[in-house]
Amino acid sequence: MDNFIEISDITKTYWSDDGKTETKVILPLSMAIAEGEMVMFLGPSGCGKTTLMRIVGGLETQDQGSIRLRGELLAGPDRRRGMVFQSYSSFPWLTVRNNIKFGTRYRTDISRQEKEEITDHYMNMVGLVRYGDFYTNRISGGMRQRVAIARTLASSPDVLLMDEPFGALDAQTREHLQFQLMDINKSEKKTTIFVTHDVEEAILLANRIIIFSSRPARVVKEIDVDAVISAEDRRNGTADVAAFMTMRGDILTLIRAEYAHNLEET
Amino acid sequence: MHAAIYGRVFSNLLAFRKALPRRTEIILGALGFVLFLSVWHIFAASGTIRPEFLPKPISVAQAFVRLFTERDFATDIVISVGRVWFAFFLSVIVAIPLGLIMSTYRSVGAVLEPFIDFIRYLPVPALVPLLVIWFGVGEASKIAVLWTGTFFQLILLVADDTKRVPVEYIESGHTLGATNGQIMRHIIIPAALPSMVDNLRITLGWCWTYLIVAEIVAANSGIGHVIWSLRRFVKTPEVMAGIVAIGIIGLLTDQAFRYAHARLFSYLRR
Repeated sequence: MDNFIEISDITKTYWSDDGKTETKVILPLSMAIAEGEMVMFLGPSGCGKTTLMRIVGGLETQDQGSIRLRGELLAGPDRRRGMVFQSYSSFPWLTVRNNIKFGTRYRTDISRQEKEEITDHYMNMVGLVRYGDFYTNRISGGMRQRVAIARTLASSPDVLLMDEPFGALDAQTREHLQFQLMDINKSEKKTTIFVTHDVEEAILLANRIIIFSSRPARVVKEIDVDAVISAEDRRNGTADVAAFMTMRGDILTLIRAEYAHNLEET
Repeated sequence: MHAAIYGRVFSNLLAFRKALPRRTEIILGALGFVLFLSVWHIFAASGTIRPEFLPKPISVAQAFVRLFTERDFATDIVISVGRVWFAFFLSVIVAIPLGLIMSTYRSVGAVLEPFIDFIRYLPVPALVPLLVIWFGVGEASKIAVLWTGTFFQLILLVADDTKRVPVEYIESGHTLGATNGQIMRHIIIPAALPSMVDNLRITLGWCWTYLIVAEIVAANSGIGHVIWSLRRFVKTPEVMAGIVAIGIIGLLTDQAFRYAHARLFSYLRR
């Protein structure tokens, strides 16, 4: 596996406001992610998976360790790592089209004409052409998340970071967007780190699932989903149900054990 | 039949947290004024309170007309409006950038906030003697009174508006490649602008409340001066007419702000 993203010996500790109590969120943790891979971070609530993803995105600073992208040491956020948040982050003062176009605003590698074309491309990809002139508070939550995904893709990041992007959506919209993301991933081949609590979502979308322990986060298990159920079968709905359910059961058992361990500790 | 219709109208009017049609709102707003004027008239006409203290609404209306025909009240209004807007403009051009900086750079906020909070709680009328010593009895001291009354309130409101911009917007900006300056111009200001404009409307209202304070010290023009000088002759209807004039200007300005807000930020409508 080529090391497109290298996470090396990352640690993170949070301190209480009075500075007296420390909470270790991440113990020395290392992993590598290949180019084009979709990796799901899965684990009990509050285990530190979002913190790790935010560190990769440069939105939080680690205490120790380093993050490298194509071998280059990263510090702070930039356009190479685009983020889609759980809460709706599309800008209400811009229309759907202008929100997506905003993704190209700080790109100096393309012309104005290309920015328009890229906007059209992603509006089309997320199926929002009809809603281009709508402000985002007049469209549904699912559409807003599609805007956020399209805006991030329009900025052409090397890595897509998704923090429970479908967490606030109803089941049907969620499923629709999961399939849409699979299509996007197939066509864009974008390296993606996706944080979720939803085991089925993880199995459906991932090339690889990384299961974290309860806080402080360490990797409990890595599952190469592609080796068990092909991405094609998952996309087409022809996956072996028994294999799917077995994997789901194994993951849930691991997470439940970690959750119980966390309860004992607290 | 009638009882059912009245029942429905009544329940619509008292629907819990439901919007009313615009026309109904206007009618109810006008009704509030009519009710107030009626109660006032009944009290004044009953004779329980002497007319020097509480003239009838009609006497105030006649005095209102007299202010324009017998005195150059229109000029006083223009002067007062000019003072209020000039002082307000000076407040805005300093408070907005400073409020933005205060909320963006915590160190600046930490230095300025306690001091501004301290000044904010000082009663403006108590500062008038000091402002007259500093700025003299001319226009400058009047503007200073109005500025002091609004600036320290506005700066904290602007800082609060900016702080309330969702962190996801700012983090999105960073991950889309924007610099801090671009995030300020392209994300923070547009995101905070609707509540900022709303707070401008409110602080402009406060600016009008300090007008009388500003125009009673060595003034020879302005609505405040008119009210204060007529008070000496116990011309209560004219005094009340002057107050009504401030109320009308305030109401019109407020409505203009609301209209502009609705037009500028139509995207907020659901």
